[in-house]
Amino acid sequence: MSEPLSNIPRGMRYYCGTEARLRREVEDMAMSVFDGWSYEEITTPSVDYYALFEHGMGRQQAELAFKFTDTDGRLLALRPDVTSSVARAAATLFAGRERPLRLCYAAPVFRQKGQSHAEWRRESTHIGCELIGADGIEADMEVVAIAVEVLQRLELAQHDYCITLNDVEIFNGVAERHALDDSARERMRRLVDSRDAAELQNFLAPHASTDERAGFARLIQLSGKQETLAEARRLITNPRSVAALNRLEELWRVIESLDLTDYFEIDFGDVSGLDYYTGLTFKIYLSGAGTRVGGGGRYDKLTSNFGRPEPAIGFVFDLDALTDVLARSNTSVAMREQDGTVAPLSNDDPATLFFEATAMRAKRERVLIKSGEAVQCRN
Amino acid sequence: MPELIIALPKGRLQDAALARLACAGVRVNGAALASRRLAIADETGRFRFIFVKPADVPVYVEHGIADCGVVGRDVLLESAADLLQPLDLKIGRCRIVVASPHPETVMNNFGMLRVATKYPRIAAEHFGARGLPIEIIELSGSVELAPVLGLSDCIVDVVETGRTLAENNLSIVEVICESTARLVVNRASYQLKAKTVADLIRALGEGVRQETFA
Repeated sequence: MSEPLSNIPRGMRYYCGTEARLRREVEDMAMSVFDGWSYEEITTPSVDYYALFEHGMGRQQAELAFKFTDTDGRLLALRPDVTSSVARAAATLFAGRERPLRLCYAAPVFRQKGQSHAEWRRESTHIGCELIGADGIEADMEVVAIAVEVLQRLELAQHDYCITLNDVEIFNGVAERHALDDSARERMRRLVDSRDAAELQNFLAPHASTDERAGFARLIQLSGKQETLAEARRLITNPRSVAALNRLEELWRVIESLDLTDYFEIDFGDVSGLDYYTGLTFKIYLSGAGTRVGGGGRYDKLTSNFGRPEPAIGFVFDLDALTDVLARSNTSVAMREQDGTVAPLSNDDPATLFFEATAMRAKRERVLIKSGEAVQCRN
Repeated sequence: MPELIIALPKGRLQDAALARLACAGVRVNGAALASRRLAIADETGRFRFIFVKPADVPVYVEHGIADCGVVGRDVLLESAADLLQPLDLKIGRCRIVVASPHPETVMNNFGMLRVATKYPRIAAEHFGARGLPIEIIELSGSVELAPVLGLSDCIVDVVETGRTLAENNLSIVEVICESTARLVVNRASYQLKAKTVADLIRALGEGVRQETFA
């Protein structure tokens, strides 16, 4: 007995009609924003060696890839992310190119399982950009500004989206101060990630003083703007964390001067992907989507895996999550109908019919051929 | 539009959860509560409550249909939902345990254990950490019967007073963990409704603290 062909594998879907058009529009818009900031499009292989992703994303993330074997027995994977491949190209293929490299892409990625139950898709399209070989506040701000521009162009209502900012070095400074080993560090990361202040205090009991514990536990639940940074300064004093706070504050000042603070929150509890990121991290949330629709950060260690250490920062949007929200909302982008109705062309003489049709197409007008006989489909 | 939608578990935890919320100044009118409506607003209209089965609370919150929820740690661990859990509400206290009519055979078993449970994930994780292979027999109720009738060697279940265990001649072999009800928050709501959520956490936390020190 064979499976019915009507079944679609879990996590896969079709797009058509308004949704398909919306996806195309959002993708084109984002790519034009990247182009506007002088990012060059790059298309990476859909299939690559599994080892690439293991180096590029860390084993835990890479394991989510769909895997199969090459003719020589080596393990291949359907790309679970684009950044790994871009980073390798930067370190190898583009090793001789002038820095910084500005690269962008829109490509489907495949994962067997999402991070949350709400992320049910196993194929999703990543729209992203990478700025490689540039360091400091200027590079950080460039990428953040691009993300903001893309969001602004979605024409959402204000307060319907938010970018959270953090710097992983704040957490790393605290972990270093308490001399935590890898497994203890991971346990603390999980507690911070779930904002479990009470458990975090218990966990830190053997490592830190009561005041210090209470301070850090308070910090991870803080989410806010300028005042959050000031509060963090009172609560955290180790030099590594303080250096990160300084960087974050510098970035905040630029955001403030651009009058963009409404779109941002500082969130010290964002510590996912700690082994991957090395500085600024950000996540993008949209009202109507229960999970993040994008995120990124600084990953200065990644390219050294491919033999050329250099600073890098980038981010991705999840096109599918984004268009899901837009399709359900009443934003103008979603409501914009395809312009103009078309009168169907018909003529008994095919030569005349297509002479007329191609002439219209030459003027870029839309054409609809009225078929002589519509054929009924037989089941 | 309410500012915040809160999912509450029907049954065991419902009243205690509502009492906690009332302490934090979020009250529902008794008449509305007595009706059989599954979605009701609080007295100010700022909050809307939805009443769902305990196991469904993490589902609603993870998908962002509800912004927050109240759920036992046992249910939360079993659901493996990706949620924020900023506050221990210290209600609905219970323990998740391994229990058996023959505790010594469970502890001395190095082959294969048959475990009856409503918590397959928690059971698998617990015995997995000990390196003991198990066969999980998933049941939806009256789990205590399974080892008595020979369906399993032991059970993994929640225990409040221990009476049901005793009445079925089961004793506790190990305590896997303690469980109390948690306030859980959707990741996006935590940022997009930062102020409202933070105020609620603070008010609820204040109530919990007062009671703990009373």
